[in-house]
Amino acid sequence: MSAARDQDAALRSFEAAWRARPEDRIAAARADAMQRFLALGLPTTRDESWRYTSLRALAGRPFVDAEPAPPARSSWLAGVCAAPVTIVNGRPSSGAPQPAGDPALTIESLRAAIDRDPASLAARLGSIGAAESERWALLNRALFVDGLQVRVAGRAAAPLLIVHSAESARDDAAVHSRVIVDVAAGAEATIVEHHLGGSGHATLVNHATQLHLAPGASVEHYRVFSSDERTTHFDALEVLQGAGSRCRQFTVALGGAMVRANLSGRLDAPGAEHDSYALLVGRGARQLDCVNAIVHAASRTTSRQTARALAAGSSRVVFNSRVLVEAGTAGASSNQSCRGLLLSPTAEIDTRPQLEILADDVKCAHGATTGRLDPNMLFYLLSRGIDRASAQTLLIYAFLDDLLTGMSLPGARRAIEDALIGELPGADLLRSYR
Amino acid sequence: MLKISQLRANVAGRNILKGVDLEVRAGEVHAIMGPNGSGKSTLAQVLAGREDYEITGGSVTFDGADLLAMPAEERARAGLFLGFQYPVEIPGVNNAYLLKAALNAKRKKAGLAEVDAYEFLGLIKAKMKFMGMDESFLSRGVNEGFSGGEKKRNEILQMLVLEPKLALLDETDSGLDIDALKVVAKGVNSLRGADRSIVLVTHYQRLLGYVEPDRVHVFADGRILKSGDKTLALELEARGYDWLREGRVA
Ligand SMILES: Nc1ncnc2c1ncn2[C@@H]1O[C@H](COP(=O)(O)OP(=O)(O)O)[C@@H](O)[C@H]1O
Ligand SMILES: [Mg+2]
Repeated sequence: MSAARDQDAALRSFEAAWRARPEDRIAAARADAMQRFLALGLPTTRDESWRYTSLRALAGRPFVDAEPAPPARSSWLAGVCAAPVTIVNGRPSSGAPQPAGDPALTIESLRAAIDRDPASLAARLGSIGAAESERWALLNRALFVDGLQVRVAGRAAAPLLIVHSAESARDDAAVHSRVIVDVAAGAEATIVEHHLGGSGHATLVNHATQLHLAPGASVEHYRVFSSDERTTHFDALEVLQGAGSRCRQFTVALGGAMVRANLSGRLDAPGAEHDSYALLVGRGARQLDCVNAIVHAASRTTSRQTARALAAGSSRVVFNSRVLVEAGTAGASSNQSCRGLLLSPTAEIDTRPQLEILADDVKCAHGATTGRLDPNMLFYLLSRGIDRASAQTLLIYAFLDDLLTGMSLPGARRAIEDALIGELPGADLLRSYR
Repeated sequence: MLKISQLRANVAGRNILKGVDLEVRAGEVHAIMGPNGSGKSTLAQVLAGREDYEITGGSVTFDGADLLAMPAEERARAGLFLGFQYPVEIPGVNNAYLLKAALNAKRKKAGLAEVDAYEFLGLIKAKMKFMGMDESFLSRGVNEGFSGGEKKRNEILQMLVLEPKLALLDETDSGLDIDALKVVAKGVNSLRGADRSIVLVTHYQRLLGYVEPDRVHVFADGRILKSGDKTLALELEARGYDWLREGRVA
């Protein structure tokens, strides 16, 4: 058994899974994606966007499709919506998902959408996974078993919660799922995707979400990762924004052995506004790798990216954001702010804000700082009689404060705070503090 | 109350305190005056328990206990309070929460129950009114976006809530206009009492017009050069510090 062949085990198992799938009506689009994926191979640390996250161990393991399973646990975000849609191992749990009883929302399974209108669906899949950095999204296109198509036609009455649950009794299960959200002109929605599960097995989850905003549409989107410490997530989020549309996006990573979260945003028409927030909590041996790429393809577009990274134990947190302002645009404005807080000498935070400006009339700012708890702040609290552990806890929580206060969905914010507090030292203190 | 003997300390490897001797008895108000950079703030922070300042010699007793052996939070609970020259801003940590947590830490040490939330609010509002502070400061982050004068008032507010046995006020008067200075002086005077001591580190005679000291010390080059009564402050105001440093002191 040679080392070279060993490193291909994952790749070959994905190819085998693809060959074993019954052909569906978008088989050509899938085959095309699979061929490209096989040609590119799995990313290695030699690839620019993967230099901090090694997939060596993962690449040497074969994976099989996760078996269909019943939902095993409920989401702690369930409070945000009366009728959550649950997706277990990539499949909507009740077959066809129930419409939310909201005339503004139409929800169907991706399987149903493929059967109904394969041509338009196939055409939609291509935009994500085009870049080499999005190889997992490419693989997702070839292999997604099912997922959801959501259409928002007006102002949604309530937030929509999509619970992605990965459950397997095996150590080599892989889940490939996709969500496509279309928000019509002027329509408004809040969508929360919660990724959870694991049941103690080394599950691989490869998910993709496409968020398409028509002119004047407005969306607040959350993706929250809180799986157990054996689950690996690859998550690709694509946001396409039309004229005057507004997107607020929150990526919250509180779990998993490894989470690689891509966000690729394209501000395609004048006046589009994009705010993204990343709250990354590393502890234990967790690896979090957040890669944002925002393209300003039109005039008067605005993007703001805010990241707060916390790393304890021997965790490693990467926040990599790239902004491209295309030639021929005017009045684009972009801001990237990333702050990291190291809580242990063996933890690591890497941040890289990058700007590529090909236009003249732009306003761009970026800043990245990483450090430890401020000794002056700590001393101030100690000098008031606060014990050391509490002082540290308060300062850690304070560090995340402005990101949490940016969440405009109170139920989600509250639940995320609760979960976050559970991940931090001094949970009891923080519960009483809040 | 406080007895400092031959205290020596280094900051970032540099010797800053070079043998400080000072005794403050219960009920006394002392003023420490001296040129910039002479080590006054270093002394105040060493007394409050700042860890990155390295003590290289001497001793300090506070109420008979070995102060230098106590961590900063223990010193505070034992009744020592430092009003910082430059109070740090702590966005995201609520000002009212800090006041309450500080008070409760002290009460716990004294074997008392936590302060009742309603009672606390009444207490704090009364003290804020006394200090001429708007109640909106309670809901803000600690010193967050406060002006220089507001930060100093907030320090005095904390002092009034905690009622320390020994208050070290490090240039609490600098940067204040005359009205703010009067408010700060009022706060300090209200704390005066037979069982409390106050050490004012100050640059100017100005504050001492409102808070009359029992003793005045001249601090230069890491030690106390000369001590006297309040007339020493006036002399310093008139003649500066140089006459002391040129070795003409007996
Ligand atoms: N954190 C620090 N690192 C290095 N040097 C410092 C630090 N703090 C103070 N110093 C130095 O110690 C000396 C005494 O400073 P300080 O105690 O603030 O004086 P004062 O309060 O009398 O103006 C000064 O030379 C100052 O530059
Ligand atoms: Mg000073």
